[in-house]
Amino acid sequence: MNGDATERAKATGTKVIRYLDVVKRYGNFTALAGVSLDVHAGEVVCLIGPSGSGKSTLLRCTNGLETIDGGDIEFEGARLGRDERTLRAMRQRMGMVFQNFELFPHLTAEQNVAEGPRTVLRAAPAEAKRRAAAMLAKVGLADKAASYPSALSGGQQQRVAIARALAMEPDVMLFDEPTSALDPETIGEVLNVMKVLADEGMTMVVVTHEMSFARRVGDWVAVFDAGRIVEEGPPEQIFDRPATARTREFLSHLGWGG
Amino acid sequence: MDFDFGVITANWRFLADGVWITVLLALASGAASLVAGFILALLRLRGPRWLRPAIVFYIDSMRAIPVLVVLVWTFFALPIVANVTMSPFMAGLIGLTAHLAAYAAEIVRAGIESVRPGQTRAALALGMSHPQILRRIVLPQALVRMLPAFGSLLSVTIKDTAIASVIAVPELMRQSETVAGQSFQPIEVYTFAMLMYFLLLYPVTRGVDRFYRRVAHLGRS
Amino acid sequence: MTFDWSVVWQHRDALAAGTATTFLLTIATMAIAVPCGMIVAALRLYGVAPVRSLATAYVELFRNLPLILVVYWAFYVLPILTGLGLSALATGLAALSLNVTAYNAETFRAGINSIRRGQVEAALALGMSRTQALRRIVVPQALRRVLPVLASTWVSLFKDTSLVSVIAVSELAYVSMQVRAQTFRVLEMLTAMAVIYWLLGYPQAKLVDWIQRRYAVTE
Repeated sequence: MNGDATERAKATGTKVIRYLDVVKRYGNFTALAGVSLDVHAGEVVCLIGPSGSGKSTLLRCTNGLETIDGGDIEFEGARLGRDERTLRAMRQRMGMVFQNFELFPHLTAEQNVAEGPRTVLRAAPAEAKRRAAAMLAKVGLADKAASYPSALSGGQQQRVAIARALAMEPDVMLFDEPTSALDPETIGEVLNVMKVLADEGMTMVVVTHEMSFARRVGDWVAVFDAGRIVEEGPPEQIFDRPATARTREFLSHLGWGG
Repeated sequence: MDFDFGVITANWRFLADGVWITVLLALASGAASLVAGFILALLRLRGPRWLRPAIVFYIDSMRAIPVLVVLVWTFFALPIVANVTMSPFMAGLIGLTAHLAAYAAEIVRAGIESVRPGQTRAALALGMSHPQILRRIVLPQALVRMLPAFGSLLSVTIKDTAIASVIAVPELMRQSETVAGQSFQPIEVYTFAMLMYFLLLYPVTRGVDRFYRRVAHLGRS
Repeated sequence: MTFDWSVVWQHRDALAAGTATTFLLTIATMAIAVPCGMIVAALRLYGVAPVRSLATAYVELFRNLPLILVVYWAFYVLPILTGLGLSALATGLAALSLNVTAYNAETFRAGINSIRRGQVEAALALGMSRTQALRRIVVPQALRRVLPVLASTWVSLFKDTSLVSVIAVSELAYVSMQVRAQTFRVLEMLTAMAVIYWLLGYPQAKLVDWIQRRYAVTE
């Protein structure tokens, strides 16, 4: 069920994130029933699976937006902070991109991107502005620096959101269904930015329904179902030679031929 | 400090009459202003063009003038102008209705306007006429959306009946004033009045809240 | 039946003084009730459990009582409770402030709660503390939503000042009715009172409409 370790190309890097038998319950409902997964430096790990299978939940537990009920999460060798201060310090080294972008509507694009450095890293305003401009240019939106989120398309807003996360210079980027709320025409511009990041060696954990992205850009794919990982391996295995019936069923539902 | 709540029991019938009048006045003016408000709102929406500025003027005026002023004018000045006599209760009813109808009209208007235009378009595409659309598609949804605001208005209505005490309507506030004045025990009497009003109002606000939560999905499009 | 409208002009000074008192009461009440409302809202949202319950009880109590009753109650009970001999004006101000603080507390609380959870999460994900998230992300957005409601509360308050006339505070309503009693010019004075309130209140209501349009939140 699990891909051959020798096939895991990037497994030589350090383990940036370790999920160790993570359990998460909402009342009677078990969202995560013991999930174990490693994320190595420079890897792009894609989490796929049906809605409600726990992928997004795992991501939100990674930076402490949700607390886990069992197991452990390790970030850069240390257990995920239990108290606010340690957790906040860890969050500064993780970047998160949300499905609904969650740009701050009362700030311009540039102010959004500069907000992290300014408020959290306590950078000088000029330095924060410089960083923001650089990140916006990186995602191709230098000309939209003074625009408010309401004036931007979905794809543009999401790219600003990526720039906002990057401005903190994180060690890992967490993407929670980054293109699910986008029109088909704008999905491409966001995925392109993500590919550039991957090529630059950014460690990424991506919850996505974009199978072609996972196939092309992913280094490791984990298939979720009902709170568990039913199969994990390199994209070639998962998409071309799935080992479990559940994976095959899921992929065929998406019309993923072969 | 010595509290003697015996004054309440001694006058309970007098005070209970006040509660009854409060409830009666609130329900009567509430119902009347609801009807009047609907008529005004629909006239404004669908009625003759020349009528609209008059209705808007009336609504805006009632938003500008305090209830106390409306009630006092209705009881003391209207009889002079219209050459009629009216009881305090009648004046209270007319004044409150006139004032509240303006707010009710605004609630109805906002409710109707909040239904998405796509709903009307879909109904037109089916071949419905405008009156049909209003009756079968827009109003039902609008009514659900109006509920919280109407609940709030009912709460305001009950509170405003207390103002009718200044024109001697024998509702709870007035009765309390009388008992307090005669017994020289204002603390006990007014505390009792506060309790009564709270018992009247709290269930209204909570009840509307709960009911709305149950039916809210019917108004979402 | 003859009408003598000149009484209105003759007593214009008294009416002007009454109007000034009305404005004074409105401004003073808001000056107290806005910061106090913020405090109560904060206690209700972030206080420990007993404090939260107390704050909630306060808000629920004053939202479910007629203001005119609170005015009377303040007039008779406050001197005994506090041992202070407050003037009618101060008593009226106290009653109005207690009432409007409760409404403002609810307004501020609803404003803060109306900000989507995702906004707070995005702020936390950047590494902000809860306080920072509140200060820089939630409150600026909440302010926009709160402003139209505060404007509307202002107009209601302006009208509600008329209720303190029952404890003989010399605001516009009381003065008008005093002149009526002195001159027996019932129709003239009561109509003048209504007209003056209309002249003052109509532009305020229109301003509130404008504010609500300008700051309408579309989501």
